[in-house]
Amino acid sequence: MADSQDMFDAIVMADERFHGEGYQEGYEEGSSLGIIEGRQYGTLHGAKIGSEIGCYQGFALVWKCLLCSCASEKDSRKMKVLESLIEMIQKFPYDDPTYNKLHEDLDKIRGKFKQFCSLLNVQPDFKISVEGPGLSF
Amino acid sequence: MSWIQAAQAGGKAGDQDDVFDEEADESLLVQREWRSHMQRRVKEGYRDGVDAGKAVALQQGFNQGYKEGAEVIMNYGQLRGTLSALLSWCHLHDNSSTLISKINNLLDAVSQCEEYVLAHLKSVPPQPNVGDLLDSIEDMDLCHVVPAEKMDEAKDERLYENNAEFNKNCGNSPSRADCSYLEGCRTQEPAHSANPILPWILEQTASLVTQLGISVDVLQHLKQL
Repeated sequence: MADSQDMFDAIVMADERFHGEGYQEGYEEGSSLGIIEGRQYGTLHGAKIGSEIGCYQGFALVWKCLLCSCASEKDSRKMKVLESLIEMIQKFPYDDPTYNKLHEDLDKIRGKFKQFCSLLNVQPDFKISVEGPGLSF
Repeated sequence: MSWIQAAQAGGKAGDQDDVFDEEADESLLVQREWRSHMQRRVKEGYRDGVDAGKAVALQQGFNQGYKEGAEVIMNYGQLRGTLSALLSWCHLHDNSSTLISKINNLLDAVSQCEEYVLAHLKSVPPQPNVGDLLDSIEDMDLCHVVPAEKMDEAKDERLYENNAEFNKNCGNSPSRADCSYLEGCRTQEPAHSANPILPWILEQTASLVTQLGISVDVLQHLKQL
């Protein structure tokens, strides 16, 4: 009786061991596959955010210079909005996909940017396809 | 598999011995069945392992790629934003349409740049793993040859002094070959930053700013490009 119990244990253990050996090998293979695949998606998404935030930043910084060089009383409101936009952009951790308020902050930046554009009375065309093909997950 | 035999030996021992002997053919069949079952278990394990490894690594890879993509493309976004700001300034100040179309052309060029860089970013393989490199170098059986060639090129006298010792060591440590291999990788790496039309765009943007009569200071933030 004790013998058959040992036998049974041995079979279960063997089952586990063979599975484990395959698992180990597969895990390594899967890891490198996952890194490559993940990187491809990640690059596209990061690029999308970087492109958009970079646009706002470039736009805002140039306009700050332009407004500074011809400052008048009327521009003080624009300047205030612009300053807060720049601050929001600089605080935004655009290269961190794990940031939990990513979408929330991004929407705020977009809103602030639109507000500034309407104050300036311009409609910039960045020629970015925000929902462009190839950028979908 | 040695333990299988052991298990069988264990099973045959004792009073059941006779029964097994009588059905010798059947036990061969059982053995075969057992083996194929274990092979199946290895395959199942492999599949489970691939899934598990992939699930963990996907996020890691995603984060890596995300950071890299964001950092690199950010600069191009800034350039695009800069040009857009100049464009809106031109519109507000009723500038000549030649300048406006020039800015539009530059914006198109930036888009092309960006696509080019992104395509390169995606095709750049992830950082090679040192363990993998060592494996492949061992596979290539280079560790005996490469350090010897390096010795000839090396003008360092100290190396010559240590020649004997070095040769002795290089048999079991391919670190030197490893280094040269890594250097090779590193020289190829900045391919994405070497963009043929980017300097031209920057130059054109600077001349545009001067033509608009704006201080070149507005382009200060583009210095890192």
